[in-house]
Amino acid sequence: MTREEIRSEIIAICSREFEMENPDPEDDLREKFGFDSIDGIELLIQIEKMLQTELTQEEKKQSLNIRTINQVCDYIETIMKAREG
Amino acid sequence: MPRKTTRTAVDLLITLLLWAYYFAAFVFFFFPAYGAAALFASDREHAFQNLNCIFYRCFFAYLKLLMPGVTISIAPEVYAVRSSIVIANHLSFLDPILLLSLFRQHKTIVRSDFFKVPIFGWVLKSAGYLSPSLAQDSDAPDLMEQVKAMRAYLASGGNLFIFPEGTRSRTGAIGPFEKGAFTIAKLCRAPVSVLRIENTHRVYPPDSFFFKTGETVEIRISLAGSIEPAPKNETICISDMMRQARALLEGTGTHKP
Repeated sequence: MTREEIRSEIIAICSREFEMENPDPEDDLREKFGFDSIDGIELLIQIEKMLQTELTQEEKKQSLNIRTINQVCDYIETIMKAREG
Repeated sequence: MPRKTTRTAVDLLITLLLWAYYFAAFVFFFFPAYGAAALFASDREHAFQNLNCIFYRCFFAYLKLLMPGVTISIAPEVYAVRSSIVIANHLSFLDPILLLSLFRQHKTIVRSDFFKVPIFGWVLKSAGYLSPSLAQDSDAPDLMEQVKAMRAYLASGGNLFIFPEGTRSRTGAIGPFEKGAFTIAKLCRAPVSVLRIENTHRVYPPDSFFFKTGETVEIRISLAGSIEPAPKNETICISDMMRQARALLEGTGTHKP
C-alpha cells in the first residue's frame, strides 16, 4: 500500500465509523472530533483488519500518542515496515 | 443537644457503620470466598462478578436495616435485562454499586488507578472489569482484548453497564454524554438498555462524606426503554443512538421495554 492509499483508507474509516465530516489529515482528532479511548480501540481493530495482522502490545502502546490522520498513516507505515523486515 | 447536631452525629455514626461493612464483611466473609473462587472456579470472571453482586446486595440490606426510611424499588423488567449495554443517569456514588447488586453477570468500566489498589484492584481485574485507558504499562487490563471479547460475553447473557455522563449530576439534569458506551454497543451490535435511577442522591449526596439518614426516601430504578441494534447490513449511527438514549432518559422518547 502506498502512503496515499493508506491515507484514503483511513479517511474513509473516519467518515464511515466515526462520523467525521471532511477530516483534514492534520486535524487533532481528540480536540476536533471528540475521539476517545474506545474510538482508539475501534481504530486499532480497523487497522488490524486492514493489515490482516494482530498488533503486538508494544504496537498498541505506540498508538497512545496518535493525534492526527497523518500520524495514523505514519503508525501504519511503521507497522508495515516491521512486518516486511 | 440541638436537633441539627444530633442529626449530624447520627449521620456520621451510620456512615461509619456502613463503611465498616466494607472492611469487616470483606475481610471476614468475602475474602475467603474470593480466594476460593480464584483457586477453584472454572469461570473466574463470572464467579467474581457473582460474589461482587452478593457483596453489594448484603450492603444494601444492611443500609436498609440502618436507615429504615429507605426503600428500594426495582422494576421487574430491570432484572430481566440481559446481553445489553446498560446505561443510566448518575446521581450518587451509590448508583454503580446498586447496579452491581442487580446483575449477577455484569461488567463495568472502572477508573484505571483503582486497578493499582492492592486487593481491590485484584478483585476488579479478576471480575473482568474494563479500564478506560489503553495504557499497557499500568496494572489495568488490556482494553482492546476486552472489547474484542465483549461480543461473546454479551451473547452469553452478561451486561456491561456504563454511566455515559461520566460524572454525577449535581442538579438532576442529564449532562452531556460520552460516546464510549455507544461505540461498544455498535462494535458488538448489542442493544442499549436505558435505566432511570431516582433518589440515590437523597441518601448519599454527591460531594458529601455523610449518608443522609433522616429522610424517608424511595430509591427507584426503572427501564426507560431499549435501543435495538441495526440489522447487520445497515450502518449504525452513534449520534442517533445517543439522541435516542437521551430522549428516553429525559422522558421524551418512545418507551420500548
